[in-house]
Amino acid sequence: MIQYVAIILFVLGLYGLLVNRNVIKMVISLNIMEIGLNLFIISIGFVYDGIAPIITSSAGTGALIYVDPLPQALVLTAIVIGVGTTALALAIAKSIHVKHNTFDLNEVEETV
Amino acid sequence: MNAVLLIAVPLIAAFLSIISKKIAPYLMLVVGLFNLILVFFIPEGFVIIGGFSQSLGINLLFDSFAKIALILVNSLVLIIFFLNIKKYGSYSSILLVALAGLNGLLLTNDLFNLFVFLEIAGIAAYLISTSNKKPTHTFHYLVLGVVGSSLYLFGLIILYAMFGTLNMVDLIGKIQLSGNYKNLILPFLLMFIGLGVEAKLLPFNSWVKGILGKSNTLSGPIFASVYAATIGFVLGRLINNLFMFEGSLLTVVIVILSVGILIGEAMAFASSKAREILLFSSVAQASIVALLFTNGIIIWAVYLIIANALSKLVLFLVINKATEDTGTDELDALQGLFSKNILVGITFTLASLSVMGLPLLAGFAIKLNFLTELASSNQIMLIAIILISTLVEGIYFVRMLVKLWYKGENEVSVKYNLSFKIVFVIIALALLVFGTYSTPLNKLDNSIDTIQEVVNNG
Repeated sequence: MIQYVAIILFVLGLYGLLVNRNVIKMVISLNIMEIGLNLFIISIGFVYDGIAPIITSSAGTGALIYVDPLPQALVLTAIVIGVGTTALALAIAKSIHVKHNTFDLNEVEETV
Repeated sequence: MNAVLLIAVPLIAAFLSIISKKIAPYLMLVVGLFNLILVFFIPEGFVIIGGFSQSLGINLLFDSFAKIALILVNSLVLIIFFLNIKKYGSYSSILLVALAGLNGLLLTNDLFNLFVFLEIAGIAAYLISTSNKKPTHTFHYLVLGVVGSSLYLFGLIILYAMFGTLNMVDLIGKIQLSGNYKNLILPFLLMFIGLGVEAKLLPFNSWVKGILGKSNTLSGPIFASVYAATIGFVLGRLINNLFMFEGSLLTVVIVILSVGILIGEAMAFASSKAREILLFSSVAQASIVALLFTNGIIIWAVYLIIANALSKLVLFLVINKATEDTGTDELDALQGLFSKNILVGITFTLASLSVMGLPLLAGFAIKLNFLTELASSNQIMLIAIILISTLVEGIYFVRMLVKLWYKGENEVSVKYNLSFKIVFVIIALALLVFGTYSTPLNKLDNSIDTIQEVVNNG
């Protein structure tokens, strides 16, 4: 079920990118898309009744079911990359605003 | 000597270069040279990182395919930076990051690691494109790049969910055992589209016009030569070993690539701006490379990537320098550019004729060989498409050369430095030598890519 939500979020982000011409809204859409993707990755590692994949004194026998830890590690990396690209996108958005005095790409095209 | 150094050293140098801006350009040159020399001393084989068994940990694959790619990419980055050190010295930290990302892309044997390097190289590319001073185009490129890499990630996560591994060799082995290709169409298509954005394949390449159409002597050659070559090699590795398109997916991909070739050439034909002509020609060439890989013609696709990278380096440097000095890239305004720059004109002519595939130049030897291989596999339709594209290419390149050689009403004055001229002459000579004496090219064959061999040997 959570995978459907993740895919809907991903598509919603993509839709936002297609219909919005405001760079800030486009950056937000990009983030919604990335969140959808990250949720999808996490959902891949989900195991029903599984516990966190941490070996402790009470849960270190190996007899218990763990959720897959790899997607969680992948998501951490994907989040860091996402933050990096968002920061860069905002910096570029700022330079668009400095140069054209607007965040709207339609207005930018008119002034060029 | 370890292949990890090819990635780690530029990354460490990038951090160090931030501390002292003055030494940053020299650090870039030293690291570029170090990497280029190091490639020759690394033994071929897998590099296991962290002591994990091969299927569990991240590992790198350094074979002949990666070696050729690394030599090309590292030498090109070094040359391009050396030529631009005065004007774009402040971009050295970014170029170091780009070098780490590109080397990682060429070396990695892990699909998620490939995504990470794709993003590192991508972020460096967005920053390099800021040198064009067109933030809206950079933003457009960033958005498309992020969507592309997200689609690639989506595809690879589906593959992970199906097979439980991200290691390329392990994954290929498991896919071959499963023998069910139908379930793989969605992830493969997502990954192909994702990489297609960076590879400039139509219709996923709308960023190219804004970035290469407004490029300068740094960004133009970096995107048209270095990034195009790297993504070409990566796409080749994945198409040959992982995707191995078949059935309806093969038809879809071949149609997309064939249309890409024809539209790319048609757009180049219709354009009157020198940079646009070159960029649309690059779009068509990228599709030809992918088409060759799709048909299993590995070695000639590799040679085509190398010849294109060298030719486009000369073409973009000549045109972008002229654009910087004159303020326009309209062919009419650049008329007579070579009347005072005869040496540059000759090298530009040789490079463009090589892209077209005229006899006595490397492009001809390569084109003849891959067309022969396509003929032997009865791909008559593809041969016809490539020949039509060559014809169109011939028309617009000759039209451009005539304009640039013959004096117009206004005098065009562009001064090329000696370093530029030396690079142009060396590349033009290389294109001539390998065009007239192509025996060395026949020494290597499709076995330079060793992944299938490793998979089959368990």
